[in-house]
Amino acid sequence: MNGVKSESQISEKPFDQGNPDYLVQMLDIHKWFGKVYALRGVDFQVRENEILGLVGDNGAGKSTLIKILSGFHPADRGEIHFEGRRVSIHNPKDAKRLGIETVYQEQALAPHVSISRNIFMGREPTRALGFLDKKRMDAESLDTLSKIGLRLSDPEAVVEALSGGQRQGVAIARVLYFKAKLVILDEPTIALSVKESRQVMEFIKQLKAGGISVVFITHNIYHVHQIAERFVILAHGEKIGDIRKEDTSVDHLSEIITSERVS
Amino acid sequence: MIRGIRESVHLVGLNRLSTTLPHVGKVVQRIREILLRLLSYKVTFTLIVFIILVLIFGSFTPRHVFMKSNNLGALAKLVPDLGIIAMGVGTLMICGEFDLSVGSIIPMSSFVFVKLLEWDVPLIFIPFATLFTGALLGFLNGLLVVRTRIPSFIATLGTMMFWRGILYASSRMMPIGTRAYLEPGTWLENTLIGSMGGVFPVQILWFLFLAFVLGLVVHFHRFGNWVFATGDNETAARAMGINTGMVKIVCFVIVGLLCSFMSMMQALRIESFAATQGIGFELKAIASSVVGGTSLMGGIGSILGIFLGTLTIQILENGLILMGAPVFGINVFIGLGIVLFAVLNLYIERVAIR
Repeated sequence: MNGVKSESQISEKPFDQGNPDYLVQMLDIHKWFGKVYALRGVDFQVRENEILGLVGDNGAGKSTLIKILSGFHPADRGEIHFEGRRVSIHNPKDAKRLGIETVYQEQALAPHVSISRNIFMGREPTRALGFLDKKRMDAESLDTLSKIGLRLSDPEAVVEALSGGQRQGVAIARVLYFKAKLVILDEPTIALSVKESRQVMEFIKQLKAGGISVVFITHNIYHVHQIAERFVILAHGEKIGDIRKEDTSVDHLSEIITSERVS
Repeated sequence: MIRGIRESVHLVGLNRLSTTLPHVGKVVQRIREILLRLLSYKVTFTLIVFIILVLIFGSFTPRHVFMKSNNLGALAKLVPDLGIIAMGVGTLMICGEFDLSVGSIIPMSSFVFVKLLEWDVPLIFIPFATLFTGALLGFLNGLLVVRTRIPSFIATLGTMMFWRGILYASSRMMPIGTRAYLEPGTWLENTLIGSMGGVFPVQILWFLFLAFVLGLVVHFHRFGNWVFATGDNETAARAMGINTGMVKIVCFVIVGLLCSFMSMMQALRIESFAATQGIGFELKAIASSVVGGTSLMGGIGSILGIFLGTLTIQILENGLILMGAPVFGINVFIGLGIVLFAVLNLYIERVAIR
């Protein structure tokens, strides 16, 4: 377990001024929800241009950790470094400003609103007086979608009319358009067919090809193992493993998750 | 959609035609695209029903009274009252919220308006003060809903009763005539309820103008996109950095503003404040919005639809009375019409998704 050792050595010095090799460093993160101790001093790093799998059972703290990074919850203790600088993230806007974008399962899109309006939701290009620049929205939507390999013809179609895989594509294209540096995908394949899941994993590869780091949160070890380069395993609010892909296998990963320790 | 509709278009035979005659094909293709686009808007159905109603009432009312100029003139004065309210309420519904308190905001604003006339406040200030009253009441509704997170249906039910109580107590339910304080022919009266060329009521122009402005905002402005996003998927909207609380509050304020605007028109027209002004408008406005294709769940709707929905409801009421339906039983038909429309809309939606 060489990989494990080297990772934990870095995280053992929690109060350094940030390691420039990492895009994101979360150090000694603690979080309580009332009496529930959800995160118990987690260190979490993402490298530049890396696909990282964040795995663990239900209630392990994956979502809490990510919500702290994307600004939905404040951490009760700990610090976050981004691109080597210490940052404070109080709300989703702060996270977005840094280039951290999160795509949530099924929550990301407004189903009855058009594709282009979804892609530009909250950050619409406008002309005079705040009126929408629809031409630009439509053209750039299709352009961005094609960058992740999704070819659609009608940017005014409502999202509801798309397949599950295409919807994830729209959600991912949205973060791509806004020059994300880190994209967090929360269970992006959970409700999808085999074919659609494969499509989504293609999108993720395209993100990496575009120089973006990806955190892939999932229960599905088969999906994440195909694509991630490194895995962080959480259990009961603690990090129990940090393993490079070369040092593990699907069986090994599921063994760690179910036994809740690195064997 | 769009498959269901596409199939029905195939049935019409356009598709076969386009394959046999290639040079006509392009034109047919284009027509089909336009047809599909149109059908994908629920507004189309409201428009069809509206036209059918006009044709029915136009031909079957005794002596074609429906199409006579005095009836159309009466409609032109009545429709804007409901229409102006319905556009605000409908926009709020797109945003995912309801406002039941419009039936109290209207008489409250009207009360302020008439009281200010009575106190002889300079005329120029009065409309602004009235609009401010409506905006303030709307703002309080919005604040209540956003801060407490209770369903707006309940919150505004509460404010409806609260303001109505305040109004009844402070006005003792006595009507106050405006004629004693406002001589005929002031600029205020002319701008709000005058007529163009002696016959064409300006109310309808106000209605069109407000529909135009609101239509621009809802469908072509950044804010409109936030309204749809908030109503359709609030979590997503918030995740994308939209201040959904602010969006809702602004929508409530729009409703309040429109209520107070309409209350001035109404008070001037009936030349009085009446404590019972606006009763029932909350539900009629929701009904107009639903008939116009607005979803009760938020995220779907259009200003054009609400506009047509109001016309449809008012014409239904007016036409039925002219056809001799018993006046006191008229609600039976309107109730039936609304339910039928809601069912139809739901059915269309289901077909569309399939």
